[in-house]
Amino acid sequence: MIRARTFTDARAQSHTNAELNWWIFMRISGLILMFLILGHIYMTFIQVSESDATFDAVVNKLANPAWKFYDWLILSLSLLHGANGARYSIEDYVRSRPNRAWVKGVFYTVVALVFAFGTVGLFSI
Amino acid sequence: MCGRKAAPAKRPGKDVEEDLRMYRGREGQWAFLLHRLSGLAILAYLLLHVFSIGSFIFGERFYMTIHERYDLWPFRVGLVFVSAGVVYHAFNGLRIIIMDFTGFGVAYQRQMWYGVLLLSVAAFVYAAWTLYPRIMGGY
Repeated sequence: MIRARTFTDARAQSHTNAELNWWIFMRISGLILMFLILGHIYMTFIQVSESDATFDAVVNKLANPAWKFYDWLILSLSLLHGANGARYSIEDYVRSRPNRAWVKGVFYTVVALVFAFGTVGLFSI
Repeated sequence: MCGRKAAPAKRPGKDVEEDLRMYRGREGQWAFLLHRLSGLAILAYLLLHVFSIGSFIFGERFYMTIHERYDLWPFRVGLVFVSAGVVYHAFNGLRIIIMDFTGFGVAYQRQMWYGVLLLSVAAFVYAAWTLYPRIMGGY
């Protein structure tokens, strides 16, 4: 449970190093994702109209290794950022220990499968 | 400076209920709640998005079958909310970072939040404007 509002608070409150590292990770990845995702939205949603995002357009774009890397960076950073954010919510709102274990187990499995699927998709083309 | 205060003895049932609202206050509480809700919504969108875009590895037919499902109106309207949600989450996240790492951040958190809200409304209007033909006419 993170309730810290400053870095000093975070360091004082986190009882493990891992928890403090996740706290820092959320800030750094969030800052990077801001550019990556707003750029992604601009390029695929505003610059190009949605109806142009056809099968061929996706395949052509991903043939370029630079876009592969860009998309894979978004994929991995956003899934880690999102999974950790959801973990905060689960830990705050799922109060019973066994339920929490189940919810986390199922959730992490889904995230891992989607990550594997996205990675295979990006690099198999 | 924040977090649980060492409160005087509370009734046990009440305890949990009060703990579930972390920031008891005005704008800060709503900023926090909206940040969580938008974050979870974006995560749900992201999981769907990776699956549907990634499905091109199964071939064009499979890919298009999924994408034609997105022609149902809730998905078309949902795009507007996702756009606004991403803008809210991104700029409120920036506000959190400013609060964490600068001296003046906490003092101006309320003003910054109204700025974030303004940007989100602008994003909502812009996305609705851009997507209007698609919301009305489909793909």
